[in-house]
Amino acid sequence: MEYAASVLILIGIFAILATSFNLIIGYGGLMSIAHPIFFALGAYTSGLMTIHFNIPIVAGMLCGSAVALVASIALSLPSLRVSGDYLVIASIGFQLGLLQIIKNLDWTGGPGGLSNIPPLIETVGWVPAVVYIAIVLLCALAVIYFVKWLVSGDYGRAITAMRDDEEAFKALGRNAVTMKIVLFAVGSGLAGLAGGLYAHYFLFVTPEQFEILYSAGMLTMVVVGGLGTVWGPALGAILLEALPQAINFLKLPSSIMAPLQGILFTGLVLIFLFTRPQGLVGTRAAPLLPDDNGDAGAEVAMR
Amino acid sequence: MTPVIEVVDLCKRFGGIIVADHVHLALGAGEIVGLIGPNGAGKTSLFNLISGVVASDAGSIYLNGTPVNGLPIHGRARLGLSRTWQTIRLFPSLTVLDNLLIAPRLYAGESLTNLVLAHRSLGRARKELEARAFQQLEKVRLADAAPRRPPELSHGKQKLVSLARALMNDGNCLLLDEPMAGVEGPAYEAIKEVIRAEACAGRAICIVEHNISFVKDLCAWAVFMFNGRIVSTGTVDTLIENEELAELYFGR
Repeated sequence: MEYAASVLILIGIFAILATSFNLIIGYGGLMSIAHPIFFALGAYTSGLMTIHFNIPIVAGMLCGSAVALVASIALSLPSLRVSGDYLVIASIGFQLGLLQIIKNLDWTGGPGGLSNIPPLIETVGWVPAVVYIAIVLLCALAVIYFVKWLVSGDYGRAITAMRDDEEAFKALGRNAVTMKIVLFAVGSGLAGLAGGLYAHYFLFVTPEQFEILYSAGMLTMVVVGGLGTVWGPALGAILLEALPQAINFLKLPSSIMAPLQGILFTGLVLIFLFTRPQGLVGTRAAPLLPDDNGDAGAEVAMR
Repeated sequence: MTPVIEVVDLCKRFGGIIVADHVHLALGAGEIVGLIGPNGAGKTSLFNLISGVVASDAGSIYLNGTPVNGLPIHGRARLGLSRTWQTIRLFPSLTVLDNLLIAPRLYAGESLTNLVLAHRSLGRARKELEARAFQQLEKVRLADAAPRRPPELSHGKQKLVSLARALMNDGNCLLLDEPMAGVEGPAYEAIKEVIRAEACAGRAICIVEHNISFVKDLCAWAVFMFNGRIVSTGTVDTLIENEELAELYFGR
């Protein structure tokens, strides 16, 4: 029971992470791999604030989200003013460097991790577990609907235009840099929220849970579900969290189990990239892949 | 009177290729000026320099007297500079109407704080904006194409839509990069009519075009560019009758 509950909660948390990552890479067109560190900033900030300052846990979670949001601006503002490509490299440095700092500070618990995080609700027994599952899934739904609202209407029109042809977009008087910084900040803030939800259920966080490799897992969810779609990333999160758990019930020895899960993940990515690059729910060609309408490229080549 | 657009001693080189060699150009309100010359003369590059797509090496650009050298592309557009592209560059994922709605000089919907705090006034602004977008589409006689996506339209119609999109910017400077390339039939006259009307309304318009009869019909004067230099300035007739220029244009 407890196991099933934690799987459901992880699905909700990863749905938030994948949806917010999609806002950054799918809608913002920004190549970042620092998403796990914003998840970590949310978890650690909320954990530390509630442990040391005894503030309400919801307030701690909001602080975690705010810290992730502000940290993202510190990363995106200098890199996006130079060029979009610079963000990839800067995000690697940001992810690795910040995690090293967390590993080497005393008050973050160092490499051993931060324990004794107060729970949002007491998690003994099945009633609180169900309540927590409901909270996490409701948060995930709220995040998805928020993104849906953001990418439709007046703001969504601007996002689509920017994704189609950034230079033509700018020449109309639109500030693409500001829009990208905002999308990056909102996406990172939501990752921070996921961090708070994680910390106050599992009550223990270690730096290993936020390694750079996890951005590959989140990317897989986004790509399998559908890059630049509203529901795709959540669907990808459900699939990629539930599937490895499902094969646990086969009761295979663990020496086979671990590699099998790895093969499943990478296999899915490969299969999707070759057969359905637009993902499960995408209807058109993936926005980040070159499309057959080469107008924008031609214009650049001509200069 | 201050010119709408003024280019002073503008220079730009890409490695060994000089695309702007001490270019001087000034356009007043209501003027239509042609920019002619062979391929590679630096005509489109001059547009890219003026609109901020490419940064200049030296020289100054003024828009209604304001220096714009330090401004990014969008900053210049917000001062009233509007342009079209040789390769059209409409947004293929958006409808024709949305392509126009995104294009006014100031777009309230690009600010998230506006979206949250000024929700109601934004709704009113959208209605006005839609009315303006349909006005521009009427000008090019394409109001019925509003709900369609650009790739569904013919090349000529896409050109017209891109002109209408440029007109959504209510500023007074318009740069048109080969507005007639690939356009035939009724669209030809429509474009000419629209450009004339916009000039009468006080816009300064600069046109890069290889269709000389089109330039002759519209432009009181034109400049001839070659290797990044303005070689000659005058009426279109005197430019095309000049044998030296014809040699530069067509080769020996």
